Amino acid sequence: MSFGGQFLRFPDLFPGRPAGEPWGDRAVTLDVAGGPYLVAGISAVQEAGLRERFGSLCRGAVDAAVLLRVFRAPAGDFREIDTRGWEYTLDLDPSPHGLRVAGLRLMARLDWTAGLSGALWTCEAAGEEWTGACENALRVLAAYRLLDLGGAVIHSAGIAGEEDGYLLLGPSGAGKTTASRLCLDEGATVLSDDLNAVLPGEDGAQMVKLPFTGDLGDRAGAPASTPLRALLRLAKGSEESLRPLSPAAALAGLVAAAPFVNRDPGRREALLDVLERLAAAVPAWELTFPLGARLWSILRSIPATRR
Amino acid sequence: MSLARLMAAAWERNLPVSVLIELTYRCNLDCFFCYNDLALRGEPLRREQYFQLFQELADLGALHLTLSGGEPLAHPDFLALGTRARELGFAVRVKSNGHALRGELARRLRDEVDPFLIETSLHGATAATHDRQTRVPGSFERLLANLAELRALGLRVKLNSTLTAWNEGEIAGMFALADSLGLPLQVDPEVTPRDDGDRAPLAVAPSREGVMRLFRIQTERGRALGPRDADETLPAPPGKHCGAGSSGLAVDPYGNVYPCVQWRRPVGNLHRQGLREIWLGSAELAEVRDLTVRVRERLEAEGPRAALLNFCPGMAAVSSGGDPLRIYPSAMQRKELLETVLEEEARRPVLPVIP
Amino acid sequence: MSAIRPAAVLRRPSDVRYRRIEGEAVVLRQSTAEVLVLNEVGAAVLDLADGRRSVEEWIEALADRFETDRETLARDVLEFAAELAAAGLLEPAPGDET
Repeated sequence: MSFGGQFLRFPDLFPGRPAGEPWGDRAVTLDVAGGPYLVAGISAVQEAGLRERFGSLCRGAVDAAVLLRVFRAPAGDFREIDTRGWEYTLDLDPSPHGLRVAGLRLMARLDWTAGLSGALWTCEAAGEEWTGACENALRVLAAYRLLDLGGAVIHSAGIAGEEDGYLLLGPSGAGKTTASRLCLDEGATVLSDDLNAVLPGEDGAQMVKLPFTGDLGDRAGAPASTPLRALLRLAKGSEESLRPLSPAAALAGLVAAAPFVNRDPGRREALLDVLERLAAAVPAWELTFPLGARLWSILRSIPATRR
Repeated sequence: MSLARLMAAAWERNLPVSVLIELTYRCNLDCFFCYNDLALRGEPLRREQYFQLFQELADLGALHLTLSGGEPLAHPDFLALGTRARELGFAVRVKSNGHALRGELARRLRDEVDPFLIETSLHGATAATHDRQTRVPGSFERLLANLAELRALGLRVKLNSTLTAWNEGEIAGMFALADSLGLPLQVDPEVTPRDDGDRAPLAVAPSREGVMRLFRIQTERGRALGPRDADETLPAPPGKHCGAGSSGLAVDPYGNVYPCVQWRRPVGNLHRQGLREIWLGSAELAEVRDLTVRVRERLEAEGPRAALLNFCPGMAAVSSGGDPLRIYPSAMQRKELLETVLEEEARRPVLPVIP
Repeated sequence: MSAIRPAAVLRRPSDVRYRRIEGEAVVLRQSTAEVLVLNEVGAAVLDLADGRRSVEEWIEALADRFETDRETLARDVLEFAAELAAAGLLEPAPGDET
């Protein structure tokens, strides 16, 4: 099916430029990794929704690094979709000059000819439907923004202790949420069990919390950034096992876990550069753990270096 | 009982015969030189307000209603508005880039709106040039495919184009393409600033040679058509330079009313007043009408060939620091080039017509 | 040009758009892009051609407005209707058998 066919009634009318009718003239700034992000053109109700959703990460409009303009789209632009048992995906159409995004009751564009900026068209006026649509656009925007900053957004569970943390990689169903829960039980902090950011740091890499969580983690609150101690690729198994992962294998795991930008041929080189550096800077392991394992203790026991 | 006399009455008595409505500035293409003021803010008109506007326009005698934008089809109520316009007896024109005009949308346009004419834009004779302008790869091929479909549906289509530095070498090719499609092509020799005064589009203004080439081609094609039907080009009624604010008007998505699509001086807003009230009572509109008289007088001072200036006071208001009476340089250039072409034409040997 | 009978029920075809200007009518036939102008009688006939009333009823309706004698008016209207029908500006309403 061609771009947008799943979500849009008239894919041919997909906006060609960031223009349309804003929902309102309000704006907020979000202190999310890679930001601040200015979300503009929203109504008072939508502003309230974002403030509630993002808590202290959300403040009044200020000069921002990245702009996301919000426009109205009529409900009739979108197809009815039965979301029961449906895995949320976004339809992406990358090109050298920008990216088109189609999703559940949303259309978005990223344009980067004059610095990165985004535009979102949605029919959601309020509530979780609205914040969900906004969040979906922000996820993609953050992925591209972080790449520009030499970092990446990674599908992962981010688990942290007092001094540093671990990034657990794996596709859906690999056990990121289970692993997060186990670590929480032992007193660790979960940044997010779904999406975390990595950025280059002074000695290696920093893991940065993103407020776009799955089921666990602190969805709001102060941004947490912690040195990244190790990358773990998760595998389910009946016994506990930990084996070192070569940088190449780590790289492969990371690329597979870097959503949105890993589907953009124009970003392939940049993504490989960033993740290669990450894999070289941070040791990687493959971790198999049984249910009920004392996972946090296992993670703490991992040597600081591979050899 | 002549059309010319009736049109003159429209100009003199301020009967809005032709109205252009910009429904939305959303668009599915991204043409480099688009004149829309995308930073403009305001409250969009609701469906009921459009219905009310259409009724008032019908009562005032408007016959031609052009739905434009941005891309009018991107307006959520486009079909409902177009249908209502048809029901109220308007000859509906749709100014669309044509990109989405296929399949279900094209059929519904024909069946529900039954437009008099679809005006769509051709930016070049090749995909490279056309897509360079629209900034959407594949738009040229898509347009050609859709034009064939529109034709098969029995819809009447006209092609509009603007001469630019990018396509000035392809004009003959564009006319050939239009001929092969069986569609008329009208080429405007001038790139205009955006409605907010931004002159960035002028970066692709055509060269003198390009404009000259266009005029020569148009003259040659005019020659091939033979003597024109008297009614096709109505003589300008005495008194005013043009019908801005008298035989026509324009409305933007936020209810602002303008004397015409080019003259971006708002003369009222439909959120505050009905169209009839604005049309009959606006002081700004009265001033514009008076200006069209003064423009006429001003141009008379330019001599018998003033028409070659193709002077637009709306454009002057945007270009010449806001003075609608000042003849801007591109108008002077146009006159000069046209005079050259006409003189060349006059010197052509006249061949006898062999019946 | 075939004659129109008074019992005929005629209507404007869907592709005819028109407006009254100063009593007359500017008429556009969309399918052919023809534009023409009709005088007051013609304009009045277009207004009345709703596909429900017969030509006879038009004559009744117009008799009050125009000061000609009824016989002349009837002849004018029938002639006009025939001209307009020939020009494609009037067509038989569905169900009309005349």
